[in-house]
Amino acid sequence: MAILNQKKTKASDQIPTASMADIAFLLLIFFLVTTVFPKDRGLAVVLPEEGQETQVSPKNILHIIVRADGIVDLRRGESQSVQPIRAAQLEAIWRQEVTANPNLIAAVKTHPDAPHRYMIAVLDALQLARADRISLQIFEEF
Amino acid sequence: MPIKGGGLDRKSKAASEIPSSSLADIAFLLLIFFMVTTVFRTSRDRPIEWAQAEATEKIDEKVKNILNVWVERDGSIWINDRNYPMDEVSDVVGPLYAQSQRRLVISIRADRETPYTYIDSVQKELVAGGVVRVVFATELERQMRGIRR
Repeated sequence: MAILNQKKTKASDQIPTASMADIAFLLLIFFLVTTVFPKDRGLAVVLPEEGQETQVSPKNILHIIVRADGIVDLRRGESQSVQPIRAAQLEAIWRQEVTANPNLIAAVKTHPDAPHRYMIAVLDALQLARADRISLQIFEEF
Repeated sequence: MPIKGGGLDRKSKAASEIPSSSLADIAFLLLIFFMVTTVFRTSRDRPIEWAQAEATEKIDEKVKNILNVWVERDGSIWINDRNYPMDEVSDVVGPLYAQSQRRLVISIRADRETPYTYIDSVQKELVAGGVVRVVFATELERQMRGIRR
């Protein structure tokens, strides 16, 4: 079969580069389509470590009691009087209170049946007011 | 019309080689097929309604150091596509926290209507697991104050 060996190949010995752009765009579009941007947003809170309980003077505590119906009861320090407010009002109240007493701690006590969003609303207001001493507790009836 | 040789000595015109010009096409077909069918393993989102907050901010931590803890309306806990009972959360989270060199951030993704008692239990479990950095995942609330007032 000498004839077959004599046949010259007509195929080019170079890799065709004309489709390079197509390949690049194919890859680009593939990664564009498959990329997922993570939705990691929220309200950051640092929980107390286990056994790290500190005694604070009752006059430095602002009790913020979130009731199951979303109404927020405010109780200052040792006084027994309760002031019902809306969560949206809390930002201004906290700013007032903290200028009067810089050592104030926000004790957010949420009723066990209260929906999560009411606690978030309170936490939101406190974070908007730049409060950094926040304690999250569950409301226990006495 | 008589055909020369009765048509029996006709030589085959089919090439004796496998055609290779379509090799690239086949290669790309396979490439695209696998690209399209590949699924990167990601934990799926649970169907929850997000709570909204104006103070929502981005978590300042790498994605691999964030663990999502989903808390549904009925109090069921989902971590990495698996349902766990409440009292096992600390056993799940503790080792992951140690693995991450104490950098792990827990993103509590709770439905807005979840009763707070479940959130409180989760927090207690996390503290028992040694985790202190927690984020309550929320959606950014659009500020509508100018319209409301």
